[in-house]
Amino acid sequence: MNARDLSLASLPIVRVPGVAIVLVVLCMVFALTSPGFATPANIANILTQSTILLLLALPMTLMIMTEGLDLSIGAVLTFSSIVLAVTVVATGSPTLAFLAALAVGLCFGFGNGVLIAAFDIPPFITTLGTLGIAQGLSLLVTDGQSVVGIPRSIEQIYSGTLAGIPLPIIMGALAYAVTHVLLYHTRFGTYVFALGGNREALRVAGISVRGMLIRVYLFGGFMAGVAALLMTARLNSAHPTAGIGMEFDAIAAVAVGGTSFERGNGWLLGTLLGVIAVGVLRNGLNLLAVPSSAQVACIGALVIVALFIDGLRSER
Amino acid sequence: MKYLAISVTAAAALFSSAALADGETIAVFTKNQTNPYFQAVRVGTETAAKTLAVKVIQYIPTKPDSIPEQLSQVEDVIVKKPSAIIFIPVDYKALVPAVEKINAAGIPVTNITDRSAGGNFVAFVGADDYSIGLSVAHRLLKAMGGKGNVVILEGVKGSLTSTNRVRGFNDALKEYPNVKLLASQPGNFQRLNALQVMENVMQSFPSIDGVLAANDPMAVGAIEALEAANRKALVVGINGSKEAVELIKSGKLLASGDFNGFIQGCVGTEIAVRNLRKQATPKEVMLKPIVIDQSNSAPYEVPVEQRPCPTLEQIVSN
Amino acid sequence: MSTDAPTAVRSHFALSRDVMQAFYRLLAVALLCAVLAMLSDVFLTANNILNVLRQTALLFLMASGLTLVILTAGLDLSIGANVALSACLAASVIKITGSPLLGVATGIGCGAMIGLANGMLVTALRIPSFIATYGMMWMLTGVTYYYMAGETIHGFPPGFRQLGSGYLLGVPMPVYVMVLFLLIGGLFAQRTIWGQQIYAIGANQVAARLSGVPVERRLVLVYAVSGAMAGLASLIILARINSAQGDIGEDLTLPAVAAVLVGGTSLFGGSGTVAGTLIGALILTLVLNGMNLLQINSSWQPLVTGVIVLLAVWIDTRTRRIGE
Repeated sequence: MNARDLSLASLPIVRVPGVAIVLVVLCMVFALTSPGFATPANIANILTQSTILLLLALPMTLMIMTEGLDLSIGAVLTFSSIVLAVTVVATGSPTLAFLAALAVGLCFGFGNGVLIAAFDIPPFITTLGTLGIAQGLSLLVTDGQSVVGIPRSIEQIYSGTLAGIPLPIIMGALAYAVTHVLLYHTRFGTYVFALGGNREALRVAGISVRGMLIRVYLFGGFMAGVAALLMTARLNSAHPTAGIGMEFDAIAAVAVGGTSFERGNGWLLGTLLGVIAVGVLRNGLNLLAVPSSAQVACIGALVIVALFIDGLRSER
Repeated sequence: MKYLAISVTAAAALFSSAALADGETIAVFTKNQTNPYFQAVRVGTETAAKTLAVKVIQYIPTKPDSIPEQLSQVEDVIVKKPSAIIFIPVDYKALVPAVEKINAAGIPVTNITDRSAGGNFVAFVGADDYSIGLSVAHRLLKAMGGKGNVVILEGVKGSLTSTNRVRGFNDALKEYPNVKLLASQPGNFQRLNALQVMENVMQSFPSIDGVLAANDPMAVGAIEALEAANRKALVVGINGSKEAVELIKSGKLLASGDFNGFIQGCVGTEIAVRNLRKQATPKEVMLKPIVIDQSNSAPYEVPVEQRPCPTLEQIVSN
Repeated sequence: MSTDAPTAVRSHFALSRDVMQAFYRLLAVALLCAVLAMLSDVFLTANNILNVLRQTALLFLMASGLTLVILTAGLDLSIGANVALSACLAASVIKITGSPLLGVATGIGCGAMIGLANGMLVTALRIPSFIATYGMMWMLTGVTYYYMAGETIHGFPPGFRQLGSGYLLGVPMPVYVMVLFLLIGGLFAQRTIWGQQIYAIGANQVAARLSGVPVERRLVLVYAVSGAMAGLASLIILARINSAQGDIGEDLTLPAVAAVLVGGTSLFGGSGTVAGTLIGALILTLVLNGMNLLQINSSWQPLVTGVIVLLAVWIDTRTRRIGE
């Protein structure tokens, strides 16, 4: 079982996972049934909408590979976004505000990492606790209100384009490239694979497991800070409920993408496809004006069907 | 998988053929699928659409009250280019970029229920939460004989609706110096939350004479808590929902402020269609604050699905 | 998740450790009560104590079934959505037939069927429980929304309402239901072979399978029980609030998970007790009750709850290490 999994993971082209099949089928169905779907404008629309989720799902892939996860990432995004907005309104400096948002993200990432690695509290509980803390801080700072008065220069980050390509798509591509290099072409990445599959070997080799885990969660906090910039630019404001539940969307996208909850089987491209599949499904159902209750059920079906196909493959 | 593909195709065929029908299409945005208020709005738009021979399509976030999702839905709908849009923003400030995108796409948009903080609209149709809160609180305080202890159950913290209704409650209280406000706690517009908050508040205060709830479900939660503890207090809510009207009839609820989603849906749709057909439209329609109690509850017993839409003239001349 | 967990053998030593854990947690409850009693003079009244217990009962019922799932190193994220659908279906049945008994059967039956479906997804289709029940949550919510169409069902017979708001000998009915299921759950988990097998699966699934435990069947059972308990909880909610609406299950899942974890059950499976979950539910309810009594701004609630979850589990890991 393990040997086969490893060989499949080393040859990503050979495995045609559930997520790829689902994505192709969804695109074909929507392209055939909805005239507006397969247009450049709508494709850019889907990719732009998917960026924020992608930024959360990339580090989540690494966390899940290390047999962890981060339930606080949506709430941390929200709190970072609020700190960003409050700072930019108070000081007028977008740079300072972005740095503040990153600092908040990194603080929570570091806190999560330390609690998990040094205090030995399981990731699920650690991040469930910090979820509450970030959510509470968001409510306390804003008293439930939106923070408005963001300068146009920040909004440009979401609505602007570079060589005709929307900036969020470029940022998403950049984030994907960076994570890809980190995971597949650095020693850090090798250690991440080992953290999930073979923690003992790391210890024997004298690598600090704690240090590596803290870095994984720091990376998550950093990405939450970047995502906060996009979210604030998107809403042109910050709101204490804006990121609620996004952690589960991110985890689902990672799982749909074929990353397993056991033994460090990560597949970063799968996560990208998973995020896009969710975006395509929501967009297509909206274009077809499918009733909202059916949309809700379809999202659940997507998750289960993709995992079911993967299950069939691993049984072969 | 095959099953999913087939069902998606079938659903797609069904809906795309409907969407391609002649006549104007109006996209309606509401906040969630669970609150009966927004269901009344949707029924209002559909009833009006039938008489005006237009088609309405409902867009509701799959996650209740999700700001990013409503924004995504607006972006998706702009791709489809409906003739007009009727818009209730999930948050009146955070959805301004969505309205700006609709404006940029040149689709006329009518704002109902929660007034957006920015963007250009054909018109706004709503009811004044503040004056409804004020009048329903007056009704309660008068029934209490101008003295006693009251509790306020607030809605979701920071929401425009809750803030304004509670401001109305508090301003009414100022006129009755012999009425003491014991506590003002959020029940998040939800029944179970309100029930538990009320249970806890009752522990601190042995004598509560009146409850001001910022919506009907919370008022019902408070009534259940009071009944279970064998205590009596006069309770008022806001919304004029079917359930509230029945409770008013049976004497368990004193009154409910009529925040009428059905009429807002009707009038919003009529204005959107008139605007498309180049007929004159008012820039703003505010429904009069009406307090429903035993004296005037009869017309509200008709289910919204069976009510006819009032015409714009009827509403404006009222 | 982890395979280097201790083996399934539950020695006397392990039991005494459980006793110590329970002791620490009861100490925490006592401390919390002492602080609240000092700050609020109504906290220690009989009425408020019964009130806290009644609110604890609801959380405990959902969390008790979930405890068994977590004991097997699984998770059930669909319980909130399960509560919503079960409540709405039971409400319709009561409204249409006028029979509370049929309604109760519908609620528990619907909950159990959903749990069974979860169990099939996890065992037959081998989908990780986290994802299977997350997908299930969306599907159930979709069905509930479609079925309710934004409407409310309200007004049930007084006999049925007794289940949620009635009293027997001055004690609220839900508290009896809680005690009953505390006994059943505790005895089942600690004193039956099936219960021991559940611990064994959680501690080491491969070892359990090799030693002849019918892993699949036990897992399906555990999810079905969790679903049935959600169905039961939905009935208590219905009886308490006298109405059903599509959003009835919102925000119920994570508090239940938190109650199990604060109660000392490990997410890696194999260790924890149903009684611990009761203490966990009690701690979380006390905190909310105290904040309401002291009229603290509700924005503090998530923050305080988060800190308490972290503290409880941290103390747990500390004392566990000392025990070892």
